[in-house]
Amino acid sequence: MNTLHTVLAAVGEGRIRGGWEYVRAAYAICWTGLSLYAVSLWIRSRRSEELK
Amino acid sequence: MDFRMKRALEIAALPAVACIFAYAAYVGLVVAPPDREMGDVQRIMYAHVPMVQMMLLSGTILFVCSVLYLFRASWKTDALAEASAEIALVYGAIGTTLGAIWGRPTWGVFWAWDPRLTTVAILLVALAGYLALRRFVDDPERRAVWAAVTAIVIAVDVPIIYFSVKWWKSLHQVQSNPRTVDPDMVHALRWNITAFFLVFIVFLVVRYRIALASRMREVTVPEAQPQTREAVAS
Repeated sequence: MNTLHTVLAAVGEGRIRGGWEYVRAAYAICWTGLSLYAVSLWIRSRRSEELK
Repeated sequence: MDFRMKRALEIAALPAVACIFAYAAYVGLVVAPPDREMGDVQRIMYAHVPMVQMMLLSGTILFVCSVLYLFRASWKTDALAEASAEIALVYGAIGTTLGAIWGRPTWGVFWAWDPRLTTVAILLVALAGYLALRRFVDDPERRAVWAAVTAIVIAVDVPIIYFSVKWWKSLHQVQSNPRTVDPDMVHALRWNITAFFLVFIVFLVVRYRIALASRMREVTVPEAQPQTREAVAS
């Protein structure tokens, strides 16, 4: 059991160290993209209601 | 349910969706453990997988609406097809970008002409073409029929994308399942799929209403513009 814990602790953080810059870039693109699309829908929705 | 009540419920639902989305991001970025091989980079999965799943779901809705339109023409199915195509393109473009960012530290490259990536790229280009086609045809009925036929052809790519990783074993990994993944990761992924699905539903409903209102304006005042121009000219 102790051996298993030692092995799991050794691999616990992954072989690729760091990489948070990729995670931050990915989430920033995702949230910005969805937010911009939401704004685009809101503007088009307002325009559509005005034309009714 | 009257219009005001419906509107109030919709407005109340938005903060709830935002809270679920924020909690899902917290679970994916903080609570879920790092991957044994990829470390923290694997956290991109909690946004990439739901985005691509929503693209495939949207592509399926596009196919169903297009088939329904050809069997029984309705502006509602045509509007829903238009909405789902645009959302599939948005979700697909962002999801593919996230996949490219994830690919750089794990595969060593942002892009490879792997069957999964290639079939997704084909779908995105085809969806852009579909939306362009809708803009170029003025007659609403002809546009709806042409768009429906085009969408059915495009939708053939959706199952190919899903099964590509099983049919051609290449760079992109095969779909994981809850039996092969750490329960904490499954928990985080489920929260994120739920959050992205709720946002997807909100987008779909709003975009559908815009498309349907536009269609109603076109068909309730037929040939309004040319008649006005003729009247002005005479």
